[in-house]
Amino acid sequence: MNVAVILQQVPDTEAVVKPNPAGAGAIIEDGVKFILNPYDEFAVEEALKITEKDGGEVVGVCIGPDRAETAIRMAMAMGMERAILISEPAAVEADIVTQGGILAAALKTLSPRLVLCGREMIDNQNDAAAAVVASRLGIPHVLAASKIEVSGDKAVVVRDIEGGSLEIETSLPAAISCQKGLNEPRYPTLIAIKRAKNKEIKKMTLAELGIAAAAPKSRVTALRLPNARAAGVKITGTPEEVTGKCLAWLSGTAKVI
Amino acid sequence: MAGVIVWIETSEGKIRKVTREAAGAGAKIAAALNAPLCAVLFNGKDLLPELGNLGFSKIYTADGPAFEKYSGEVYAEALAAAGELSGAEVFLTGATALGRDLSASLAARLDAALAIDVTEIIYDAKPLKVVRPVYSGKLLAEVELTSEKKVISLRPNVFPITEKPAASPELVPLSAGTAAIRAEVRKAIKAAEGVMDVAEATIIVSGGRGTGGPAGFKVIEDLAKTLGGAVGASRVAVDEGWIEYSHQVGQTGKVVSPVLYIACGISGSTQHFAGMGTSKFIIAVNTDPDAPIMGKADFAIVGDLFKVVPVLKEELLKVVK
Repeated sequence: MNVAVILQQVPDTEAVVKPNPAGAGAIIEDGVKFILNPYDEFAVEEALKITEKDGGEVVGVCIGPDRAETAIRMAMAMGMERAILISEPAAVEADIVTQGGILAAALKTLSPRLVLCGREMIDNQNDAAAAVVASRLGIPHVLAASKIEVSGDKAVVVRDIEGGSLEIETSLPAAISCQKGLNEPRYPTLIAIKRAKNKEIKKMTLAELGIAAAAPKSRVTALRLPNARAAGVKITGTPEEVTGKCLAWLSGTAKVI
Repeated sequence: MAGVIVWIETSEGKIRKVTREAAGAGAKIAAALNAPLCAVLFNGKDLLPELGNLGFSKIYTADGPAFEKYSGEVYAEALAAAGELSGAEVFLTGATALGRDLSASLAARLDAALAIDVTEIIYDAKPLKVVRPVYSGKLLAEVELTSEKKVISLRPNVFPITEKPAASPELVPLSAGTAAIRAEVRKAIKAAEGVMDVAEATIIVSGGRGTGGPAGFKVIEDLAKTLGGAVGASRVAVDEGWIEYSHQVGQTGKVVSPVLYIACGISGSTQHFAGMGTSKFIIAVNTDPDAPIMGKADFAIVGDLFKVVPVLKEELLKVVK
């Protein structure tokens, strides 16, 4: 049985992102390097480990513009066999609940035993994909997994919560989002990178997925830069001197003590 | 009839701080809609007096073994049932691990607009507008929630808590808990005794490359303990294996908004800043006066953390006592 991974292409973590005045919600893409969402690497690695043990293929689904192909090729260089890309603007610009429905429709065509994705897409900070997709597919979900053990038609998953973690047993198929610490993603070899170029990326339209146009549930009306933090005081001195000044600042200005 | 529903999240039998913050934000949304503020409470009868002080006029309750352990499936079913009874438009949770899980499950179930980790609400906007960080906090997105039903999770430590005059909210038992549990919590594993999580902490003392190793984190932990705060870490410190990942603050770690963030031996990369840039006050201790964090901190101390932090701790101990 196959394991499917939801992929997202995002700006590199080093990238300077600026709002694009040409469109609400858009960023200036000039000079921005796009990569596979870092958390998705954990999902791809886990999918590969599971299929290496139990058989089956790792397949992918991605909503994104045409440039997202490079992110899919990266996953393919790691070992993913084939993928579906939905690049229609109506899908790319849709809200995250609507996108969950689109991803679910694409995943249905792959009938996976397990759906994996990254804990969060670091561009729109969407960490709901696994839950929304699961709801649309009528399967259970677990978010932010730091351990996944698949056996038969069940999986035992450890997920992080504040101050600890939860051990969750879920029936399969299920959708699980993958947290850092789950595994060490492999580096693709040069041969694998070459081979990835010939793997199949199937472009699908919303019409082919049987999804009718619907009103958006939410829309980004503006992107703005957060207020820049002004530099404060900078001091030097002996540990005793700086401590004295720091305590005065903590009680006087910050009023923390 | 419209309305607002807040999920009452508890931790060790107490109402979470972020839930009280959500009550305050919920009251404002309810006022703008001229609608009641309601709560959904699982197995928490002894919390009712406290909820009366948070402005709720109606509390939907569900009790029994089905609600003892968190289940996105069961909890979302109950919130949806409460929503149907009250005709609520807006559902609020804290943007905690489970609040994020529940809000996503509920939004999918209701086919609602979903806004995650919201830091600002534009209460008088019609339709309702919220602001949430995107691109790891490098940008803020203003989002219009156009669907009739809206599910919003709020970032902890951002919204003020507003105590209201004591009142006795109406109690409405829910008939829920019938959803099949397919993903079942088997075990809750607690972090080591006395380890506070960074996500909701009001004070965080964080260590980076400058701590030099696990032993260096002892200094950080001591100061955190003195201040009653949590221990944070930069990615470098976590990748080096000096401290567990659960402490990591930044783009690929946790996003925090404490009142006070003390960065020790952390240069302050954009990725780290993405995780703590919304802290109210930042203190930085660094030997390099030109480290990026030194230009953004409210109070920057040029010095060796191993010399400065222990003295700071000793002096603070005197004040705290």
